[in-house]
Amino acid sequence: MSSLWQQKWQDYQDIAQKGLWNNNQALVALLGLCPLLAVTNNTVNGLGLGLATMAVLLTSNILVSLIRDHVPSEIRIPVFIAIIACAVTVIDMLMHAYFYTLHGILGIFIPLIVTNCAILARAEAFASKNPVDKSIVDALFIGIGFTLVLIVLGALRELIGNGTLFDQAWLLFGDVAQNWTIHLPDSYNPVMLAILPPGAFIALGLLIALKNLVDQKVKKTTLTAIPVEVKPTS
Amino acid sequence: MHNIYTSSPFAHNNSSVQKVMLQVQLAALPALVVHLLLFGYGIVIQWFLAVATALLVEYVMLKLRGRPLLPNMTDFSALITVTGLVFCIPPESPWWVVVLGSAFALIFGKHLYGGLGYNPFNPAMLGYAFLLLSFPAQMTQWTLPTELTGLHRPFWDTFQVIFFGLSTEPEIYTGATPLSLMRSGLHEGVSAVNVMMSPILGSGWFGLNAWAWVNIAFFIGGLYLLLTRTIRWQYPVGFLGALIITAWFFHTLNPDVYAPVSFHLLAGGTMLAAFFIITDPVSSSTTPYGRLIYAAGIGLLVYVIRNWGTFPDGIAFAILLMNIAVPLIDRYTQPRVVGHSR
Amino acid sequence: MKTTTLSTTMLRAAGLMGLFVVVSVGLLVAVNSFTQPKIAEVERQVMLNTLNQVMPTRYYNNNLIEDMTWVTAPDALGTTQPMPIYRARLDGEPAGLVIETIAPDGYSGNIHLLMGVFADGRIAGVRVLSHRETPGLGDKIELRKDNWILSFNGRQLTKDNAHTWAVKRDRGDFEQFTGATITPRAVINAVKHTLDYVNLQGVRLYE
Repeated sequence: MSSLWQQKWQDYQDIAQKGLWNNNQALVALLGLCPLLAVTNNTVNGLGLGLATMAVLLTSNILVSLIRDHVPSEIRIPVFIAIIACAVTVIDMLMHAYFYTLHGILGIFIPLIVTNCAILARAEAFASKNPVDKSIVDALFIGIGFTLVLIVLGALRELIGNGTLFDQAWLLFGDVAQNWTIHLPDSYNPVMLAILPPGAFIALGLLIALKNLVDQKVKKTTLTAIPVEVKPTS
Repeated sequence: MHNIYTSSPFAHNNSSVQKVMLQVQLAALPALVVHLLLFGYGIVIQWFLAVATALLVEYVMLKLRGRPLLPNMTDFSALITVTGLVFCIPPESPWWVVVLGSAFALIFGKHLYGGLGYNPFNPAMLGYAFLLLSFPAQMTQWTLPTELTGLHRPFWDTFQVIFFGLSTEPEIYTGATPLSLMRSGLHEGVSAVNVMMSPILGSGWFGLNAWAWVNIAFFIGGLYLLLTRTIRWQYPVGFLGALIITAWFFHTLNPDVYAPVSFHLLAGGTMLAAFFIITDPVSSSTTPYGRLIYAAGIGLLVYVIRNWGTFPDGIAFAILLMNIAVPLIDRYTQPRVVGHSR
Repeated sequence: MKTTTLSTTMLRAAGLMGLFVVVSVGLLVAVNSFTQPKIAEVERQVMLNTLNQVMPTRYYNNNLIEDMTWVTAPDALGTTQPMPIYRARLDGEPAGLVIETIAPDGYSGNIHLLMGVFADGRIAGVRVLSHRETPGLGDKIELRKDNWILSFNGRQLTKDNAHTWAVKRDRGDFEQFTGATITPRAVINAVKHTLDYVNLQGVRLYE
């Protein structure tokens, strides 16, 4: 019994590491870049879109995993799409009602989550082949990985391009967050390019480069530590 | 034994590259002198700032990339890049403007693409576009020519303005460039001819404003480069030709709304671009016919952006846009090998 | 025999698809039915907040959003389209107006403005609703970027002070932005023309 749980725990850890780092949807799979680049001129926008995407991912992964044995494979793609579209529309309506201003700022990018390939990819590649518990873990960590990139990108761009951090946090957290904004000193001249579209590409490129650099360093240390047998790359 | 891979043209001491780069620097001298006389000492300080930044950035980036310092640091290409940039920025803008611009040009415009020869975009113009988009307020306020304000700022004062932002009367010292004035004038319904006669545009030595004189100086330096065959004729001919034809066409169509050809030739960075910027062999087309198309495309785009774009001068954006088009141009303009059909 | 199996499979798939569509649509209708009123309420609240930025609540006690009419004044409001005008009243007496107006001569296109005018002709407040001015130059008209737009507060327009409705470079009272003179000029002119129109119309706008 305990070894079964150990096995499960091991699997979860595996899924989590893939979602957060090894198969990060934004940095490795490069999926969902259009909203990623468009809304990250501000930390709060990035966080908002990240959470919305995660909610859709979670719903679609759970539902797809639940019905995976009952849907013939010929119609699975249309069914997945129906589920995702439905989830996106529900979340769009909920955000419209409860985060009105943020919904206005994120605008078209909330409904566009439906075209985020990452979600259909997870439904097809993972949830349709795995039980519900694993699908939930997968959705959570894929979502967190994507959201983290959005937050880091948003924070970086906002800090450099606007000289602030967590500006307009009240859009997401309500009135308690009115004073959360951190301002750089007035003598700082914002580099406005960072919040313009080119800044998104440059910042994302730097993040990807940083990730590859870390991977390279890790690889080097593990390579020198243990003689690894060469595995076929799958 | 390590193998050293090199590519053609197998020149061992970079002497030809150095010679070309030095000749370009020499040709920029007249413009530097005119600039100094008309706008004060600003440009000298900015140039030294830019060169210091360039040396530092080159050193750090070459170290980080694990490339040898020597042939790479002495090829003078970074010098040309920052010199081009320095002429584009307002001579009395704060010190960090030119430092950030030079650093961005060299890091993002050159090293991140793999160093000299691999950069698809002109680094100087990339640096300028970065500055223009990032600090539009600083970049669009130009020091007014000294003979217009009647104020000859001593070297030490200029130094203080650049480094500490200390300026007694900024309203008198700075103003819009002719291109900006033309844009806002036309926007508010003043005819092009009347804008041309406004004090900043219409007065100066022999009735030509300071910006026009800098352009003329660049033209003279450019002729030297042409005569010594340092640059190919296709660049200035294609660029200026396209600009002249479009400007003439629209001016004939409606002289009230479209500035005359002479205005476009002698304003902004026209001559600097024609002889010093677009002639960069790395980021431009490599076929003779292609060079002509490339240069003409820039001329056309400059006119379009100057008239209908968001920013007053479109040189940088026009060049960057045509840089992206270079692979396509090259592909369709390959000279036919004798005996082969296309 | 084979055709029957095929058709059964197809029918089963179609039925399943149909079922999914029905369930999805049902869910959407359900969610919509309870978010719709909430959205309408928030929309109203947000609009009221916007109006209150240029017409503080303490000056009126009627239903500002309901007390709305349309006016068409191409010269003053910068558009041939009818523009909304909200009438604020205190105990039934005219207290002020909130008008949407357009500055048609911005650096890059129209600048949409919302302005509040007290019944005595003083400006209660001006805000920019939307614009496409150059980032870093003309966008200082936004309150998020700069306090410039507040310099309209409390101003009146009379024959004597008409010339002060201009940027300092044009010998007026308003600060200009470095690198952008067209934008503040456009906004000042739009506010001035609209205010002139309001003054001329007087109480007629409250009817």
